[in-house]
Amino acid sequence: MGAGNAQPTPELPPVAKECGEVGSSDTPLPNGAVALQERKKIKILAIGSSATDVLGSGREGGPPLLEQILEQTIRGLDVEIINRGFSGELADATATRLKIEVALNHPDIVLWQVGTNDAFAQVPVEEFAESVRSTVRWLKENKIDVILVGLHYMKQLAKDPHYQAIRDSLQQIAVEENVLRIRRSEAIEILARLRESGRPEPSDFGLNEAGYNCMAQYVARAIAVGLYAKPPKWPLPQKR
Amino acid sequence: MPRQPNAVDFWRGFALVSIFVNHIPGIWYERLTHRNVSISDSAELFVFLAGWSLGLLVRGRPELVSAGRLVARLGARALKIYAAQILICSLALAILAATAYLLDNPLILELNNAAAFFQDPARTQIGLVLLTHQLGYFDILPLYVVLMLAAPAIALLDRFAKRMLLPGSLALYFAALAVPFTAPTWPVSGQWFFNPFTWQAIFILGFALSREEGIGRFARRHLRAIRLVSLPLVLVTAVMVWFNLFPDPIHLPEPKLFFLNGKSFLTPIRLVQFLALAALFSTAFPIIAPWIRPVTEYLSTLGRNSLNVFCVGSLLSLIGQILRLLYTGSFLIDTIVVGVGMALLWFTAWVSEWQDRQLVVA
Repeated sequence: MGAGNAQPTPELPPVAKECGEVGSSDTPLPNGAVALQERKKIKILAIGSSATDVLGSGREGGPPLLEQILEQTIRGLDVEIINRGFSGELADATATRLKIEVALNHPDIVLWQVGTNDAFAQVPVEEFAESVRSTVRWLKENKIDVILVGLHYMKQLAKDPHYQAIRDSLQQIAVEENVLRIRRSEAIEILARLRESGRPEPSDFGLNEAGYNCMAQYVARAIAVGLYAKPPKWPLPQKR
Repeated sequence: MPRQPNAVDFWRGFALVSIFVNHIPGIWYERLTHRNVSISDSAELFVFLAGWSLGLLVRGRPELVSAGRLVARLGARALKIYAAQILICSLALAILAATAYLLDNPLILELNNAAAFFQDPARTQIGLVLLTHQLGYFDILPLYVVLMLAAPAIALLDRFAKRMLLPGSLALYFAALAVPFTAPTWPVSGQWFFNPFTWQAIFILGFALSREEGIGRFARRHLRAIRLVSLPLVLVTAVMVWFNLFPDPIHLPEPKLFFLNGKSFLTPIRLVQFLALAALFSTAFPIIAPWIRPVTEYLSTLGRNSLNVFCVGSLLSLIGQILRLLYTGSFLIDTIVVGVGMALLWFTAWVSEWQDRQLVVA
């Protein structure tokens, strides 16, 4: 990555110990890298079922945690996050709205949280895959990087064949289209295992609360890796 | 005694049932609602009829003579809708929390934009009260509250500066599209799903078209010609929706919102298509009502009690979402959810009218 290599490589954003170790692919974000080099500013559109957990909550009403981590890690970088999450929306409906929001806001990176609602709603896998694939291609054609944030982990659905099929289909699209995918269900599963193993958690019901800020940390790290096209230093989990 | 079925109640009942079904994403019966062949959906119909009803209320109540009484009456109505919104949001959060506990499944807490409440309850509670935080699928009533808060001003403008009302509304509409601007959300940064600055236009149009003068008179006088124009427009847009033949938003000229198909901003293509659809179906009620009398009775009963039915319908949609999640939605589950839900909507309306019926018997 020419744009990325010209930059001095910063330290990767830290991920808190209690979040465990989880990885994403080390896929580059070429358009984000160009924006970083030319403008020192990147615009991220967060869209999908509910962007709150991926962005992380900013303390005392401040900006989202993801924005804070990126700005603290990459000196001089100005991050603008546009949150257009809408809970319960299926991939097909989000795809339509995503194109409108991209046309209006001109982001460099789209952070798309996708799949959970389609798995819940029993959307046929082919239909889901077609919506996601065509939208990812549209984004690439328009020189916008995309990060797919995968399905929630849910114990009750972990063995559900349709849930698995939707998850596998998302994974396949990410590989085929060479786009970054945050392995969300693995991340939350790791948190669940940590909780079961007796590691301290904020509360019994705090799994997802902890999950929120962990997700923001994973995403920040993945973006930093993507911007500098640097392979991850942490061990990747085994393929499922 | 409840009033006899009429077109406004009938279509409002139709919108309420459509909203109930459409708010359960993925349900099989969703494919039977008119949004599959129409750019606009039941939300436009609901808000338009709310404006139409306001028009009837303002002009059809001789006791509302003084401006003061008019403002008080409409203010009380806005307060009632606001209270309903606060109540159903509170119940929805309790339903989600109870389900999460019963199933030992914290993921339920994230449904319908509820995550912020459970993660940051202090600030989100303030947001819920200020209507700056809205649960997913519980976002039409905040728009309705704002419109009803503006209703006294609308009624007074209609009374004292009639010619200002519609041009003023359309000026605000196009300004919100051109700039663009909308109402922000807080504490989660974002924007209202229904932009009140653009959606007010369809409310005011409903209000203005309900009148026997001005644009209302014009529409009635030229209804045949309007329908001739509307028919091809509705057909062409139905094909566009069915085959997803919309232009790529990125290649549209500025200001893009003038040309996009966007629900949040109620873009012109949605507004015009809705008005065309309304023109086509405006005289359908007396023709179809005798042929589908039970349906007419059912929908009109819902429409007469729209606020109560809407509130119960919102909660039933949420319960439907949870049931589909638990029983991995099948046609049978979907049929039970819709069948029981529609029966409960009718029961809600029946209970709402119970007191009126008792007075008649007495």
